[in-house]
Amino acid sequence: MILFGQFLEVLVSGLLAGVLYSLVALGFVLIFKASGVFNFAQGAMVLLAGLALVRSLDMMVANGLPFWAAIMLALLFAALVMAITAFMVERFVLGPLINQDGLTLFMSTIGVTFIIEGGAQMLFGSDVYPLRLFPSDAWFLFEDSFPGGILVSKIDVWGGLIAAVLVVGLALFFQKTKTGRALRAVADDHAAAQSVGISLNWIWFIVWLVAGLVALVAATVWGTKLGVQFSITFLALKALPVLIIGGFTSVPGAIVGGLIVGAGEKLAEAYLGPFIGGGIEYWFAYVLALVVLMARPQGLFGERIIERI
Amino acid sequence: MRAPDGPPVTSGDVLLSIDNVSLSFGGVKAISGVSFDIRKGEIRAIIGPNGAGKTSMLNIINGFYHPQQGIITFKGEARTRMRPHDAADGGIARTFQNVALFRGMSALDNIMAGRTLKMKRNMFWQMLRIGPALAEEVEHRHRVEEIIDFLKIQEIRRTPVSRLPYGLQKRVELGRALAMEPELLLFDEPMAGMNIEEKEDMSRFILDVNEHYGTTIALIEHDMGVVMDLSDRVVVLDHGIKIADGTPAEVKSNQAVIDAYLGVAH
Ligand SMILES: Nc1ncnc2c1ncn2[C@@H]1O[C@H](COP(=O)(O)OP(=O)(O)OP(=O)(O)O)[C@@H](O)[C@H]1O
Ligand SMILES: [Mg+2]
Repeated sequence: MILFGQFLEVLVSGLLAGVLYSLVALGFVLIFKASGVFNFAQGAMVLLAGLALVRSLDMMVANGLPFWAAIMLALLFAALVMAITAFMVERFVLGPLINQDGLTLFMSTIGVTFIIEGGAQMLFGSDVYPLRLFPSDAWFLFEDSFPGGILVSKIDVWGGLIAAVLVVGLALFFQKTKTGRALRAVADDHAAAQSVGISLNWIWFIVWLVAGLVALVAATVWGTKLGVQFSITFLALKALPVLIIGGFTSVPGAIVGGLIVGAGEKLAEAYLGPFIGGGIEYWFAYVLALVVLMARPQGLFGERIIERI
Repeated sequence: MRAPDGPPVTSGDVLLSIDNVSLSFGGVKAISGVSFDIRKGEIRAIIGPNGAGKTSMLNIINGFYHPQQGIITFKGEARTRMRPHDAADGGIARTFQNVALFRGMSALDNIMAGRTLKMKRNMFWQMLRIGPALAEEVEHRHRVEEIIDFLKIQEIRRTPVSRLPYGLQKRVELGRALAMEPELLLFDEPMAGMNIEEKEDMSRFILDVNEHYGTTIALIEHDMGVVMDLSDRVVVLDHGIKIADGTPAEVKSNQAVIDAYLGVAH
């Protein structure tokens, strides 16, 4: 019973951490599907969103605003920053590069990464900024069945809930709105989409905006967990194996891929760690991705082999 | 970018005119100094052998290509670099030589996508499906269902288009264009790869659209029988040059056309 309790605890914390990987991977998938661009800047966008959020929040709290009002305003401000970023990226980088091939666009997002990282730290500072949006203690569940209960971190649960709301929101947006339909149309066929009156430039702005808002959501949770700091950008590196496992073009793939990686690395750490040494968390995802890559190059949910990058 | 609402274009007036238009890709001259016009309410065929520049001409009309030279006047408004979505906004719809549908969507959603420009409501209302957005959605669905009835594709409206046979895909593509309620509808080989029966159906739809909705039509087609039956006037291109322009009967007996086109087996 103790063993099973331990297993559950590791599994749950792994799944909940995986949700956050899913969030970052989701940003990649949205942009890749609609524009064929592999967006290297997704991690930088999480940093930017987090910094804009935490710094404006701190400032408003310091100036005596009630905490809840400050949170609302800070979220709005960060969303605005992401909107401006989306606008500038579309206007000055991707707009002029329309009709270039995937590799060129990929390279351009590397440039965008450095500009966003540099700009974000210049504007908002480069320290570690603690963010306290959610309680950071834990629950102990099922204390009757398992001695000591199962430890579940509240941040992780909040993260899971928020991610679920976000996914439902995105699904509604994609399925029910004309803009969502237009996004799917562009993902399927650029020329046909334009012929019915959809502006590619507008769609790309929307896509980057949505990816920016997803980055903001990821930043609220990761920032609360680890503090807002530069190392948040390394998240993007974790998203890569998630994408390979789930498939670059699949929204459900990003979600499931994130869960697999999250749960897999925690379980591996707990159960393989004692035999082959610790630190498995750091490389497990990549090995898993390699295995998937060999068995199913398009990923578990991918439609076809990616020839775009 | 919408053309200003000048005096309404009445039947028989020039709706679109192409003046001395040239287009090249690097060294390849796709179109050289071509002029012709399309009159309100007519069915205008554009024919010519493979590689003549027909598709390029449609791409110019709906803003995919920008000619290096020449003037395009639509509804009395000369335009420079018009982007495809602006052309759509101005009332130009089209179908594609190789069907270009939104593969991931149902037939219904594909046709609904044709309503994009007509839907004005805010997306947040649309997501919540309440208030004016719901009324708007219902109204657009109503229009789309009319088109579905007209094209006789009721049974397949929920089917993902990638699973439909080619002939039906072409019909859905026509539905999407009709949903835009265009003034000018461009067809790029709407009957290529169809059997006789499907061709007859498609011809019927094209004639009905022209008659019932008064939609002006430009049509690229290789099947000479179809061209002779449907069109009011025909322009013939060969190697990017206009070699004839007139009624089907005139064009049919034109020696240059016979040499360039009718002599070629198709
Ligand atoms: N995007 C492009 N890039 C380079 N060359 C092009 C492009 N589009 C068309 N061309 C060239 O322009 C010429 C005319 O092509 P176009 O597709 O307009 O012919 P078409 O009359 O539609 O022929 P078909 O009957 O085969 O469809 C051809 O030589 C073609 O190779
Ligand atoms: Mg063609």
